[in-house]
Amino acid sequence: MTRVRVTAPRNVTPNGAGLTGGRSAAAPHVVAEESDAGALFVRSLIRSQLRLGLVVGLGFLLILLAFPLMLWLVPGLSDSTIAGLPFDWVLLGAGIYPVIGLSAWLYVRTAARNEARYRDLAGDK
Amino acid sequence: MNPVVGVAAFAAVSLATAVIGFYGLRVSRTTGDFYVASRTVKPWWNASAIGGEYLSAASFLGVAGLILLSGTDALWYPVGYTAGFLMLLLFVAAPLRRSGAYTIPDFTEARLDSRAVRRVTSLVVVLVGWLYIVPQLHGAALAIRITTGLPAWVGPVAVVGVVCITVVAGGMRSITFVQAFQYWLKLTALAMPIVFLLFVLGGGEYAASESPPTSTANPTALAPAGPYQIISLLVALLFGTLGLPHVLVRFYTNPDGQSARRTTLIVLGLLSVFYLFPTAYGMLGRMFAPALAQSGQADALVLLLPGRMIGGMAGDLLTALVVAGAFAAFLSTTSGLVVSLAGVISQDVFGGSVGGFRLAALISAIVPLGIASMTESLALAGSVGLVFAFTASTICPVLLLGIWWRGLTDAGAIAGMATGGVLCGSAMVAGSVLGAAQTPSWLAQPAAWTVPTAFAVTVLISRATRGRVPRTMTRIMTRLHTPERPLATER
Repeated sequence: MTRVRVTAPRNVTPNGAGLTGGRSAAAPHVVAEESDAGALFVRSLIRSQLRLGLVVGLGFLLILLAFPLMLWLVPGLSDSTIAGLPFDWVLLGAGIYPVIGLSAWLYVRTAARNEARYRDLAGDK
Repeated sequence: MNPVVGVAAFAAVSLATAVIGFYGLRVSRTTGDFYVASRTVKPWWNASAIGGEYLSAASFLGVAGLILLSGTDALWYPVGYTAGFLMLLLFVAAPLRRSGAYTIPDFTEARLDSRAVRRVTSLVVVLVGWLYIVPQLHGAALAIRITTGLPAWVGPVAVVGVVCITVVAGGMRSITFVQAFQYWLKLTALAMPIVFLLFVLGGGEYAASESPPTSTANPTALAPAGPYQIISLLVALLFGTLGLPHVLVRFYTNPDGQSARRTTLIVLGLLSVFYLFPTAYGMLGRMFAPALAQSGQADALVLLLPGRMIGGMAGDLLTALVVAGAFAAFLSTTSGLVVSLAGVISQDVFGGSVGGFRLAALISAIVPLGIASMTESLALAGSVGLVFAFTASTICPVLLLGIWWRGLTDAGAIAGMATGGVLCGSAMVAGSVLGAAQTPSWLAQPAAWTVPTAFAVTVLISRATRGRVPRTMTRIMTRLHTPERPLATER
């Protein structure tokens, strides 16, 4: 992989106060911005993060929509109870939250892994 | 109810808020401190603060009230409020933090390299903020009227007063601590009475006055929601959350993108635990206090239930706790919104100075006070749900497409925000003119068609003006999505 030195001045953002804090301009970003290989890595990182977000999001929505569908399709289910509480209340009032948490946890783990792979590729250590 | 209880609870919360706020004054000195707490807030603090800020009157009072009114259908509200944060995590949290922008208008301006986009976004953000503060003030009016017997206007005026004092004094740094404290206060305030109530119920002293709650036995004659309403509500809540200005501004206080994700993960846990309790209140309310729904006071259920079911000293103390929690909800959401609105207004109008920030904070708090005094809210969760629909139709398309789609242009962004804003805004106005009973469901829950339309317009106009894709696009996209360098090597 080639590392390209940037000689052009760093961009000044339109709003001076806005985009200066927090990060120093560093060599790996230079690679990412200016070389073909770097641009390719960035594109593939963005694509894999987007795909991950969509998969987790759609998966969660399917589970969410399966809840009312199940209540509607299985007769008698909405009248049944768990520990004295109506089944649909337990399902929607409490059962969905672990699903949300699990989806989020899976996403955070995989997104961090995608970024680690990008770091390896771009030589950002 | 003993009026001293309500007054004492409100005074205690205000005092605690002010004390933490003044403590913050000593550590915030620069403009950066005021806006984003210098980005040094730890994930746990930050997550508690986000939870504290997000759990508004709609969550604290509205969800239980709506469950009392419409049963299972209302359970979609807390699910949507929580799942909205999942969408925020999946598509917005880390890239937005990495953008390094302070506010949403900062982000859109930097991404699209356009002052015009900035101005339109600022306008929308301020509108959303004001619309969102109004139900908080309605909640304060209700709580004051129910718990102290004082005239309703005292509540909103007191909330705005306390918020102005804390924000003007301490900015965001102190707000972070205040918000974090208020999340835990709200959770305790809801959880303690429930524990006591279950204890009393377990003792068998209390017999249910009605049959157990089922999805069919509504205490009022409200028709159950059809699939359209549920889907439209979910669209509004899932996509509205990721455009809320006071939630987004919190992400800038994370040190990097990774910690922004970790923070969101903790927030999801905090919200999941919290929402179990309004649901429990709603359920107990359907069993033991269905009369509240018929008398049009469903939103006061959380405030009244402990006093009704547990009498005497214990009942008074629990009521005081709940009232304190409710005011924490009004104060935290309002102050969060005021801080983010003040950030936007002061940068666009007053050039970003600390003095301008203070003046902007006053403006951001007093305008909704005027709106609230002229309007009335029927169901808090419902009116906040409409603000989510508005946000989902305006800010959400620009934010999502800006982060993930290279083809977005300034013309597309402006057209999309205008379309979504006009469509959703007219639906809201039409709904309030027609009244709840006469409004057809497609107008009462507009998100299912306004959000896709706004997305479609944004994409089509961007495609038509593809020559306007800014030259800085590749650089900004790289910045949004590539991980920061490890902190140890950062100079």
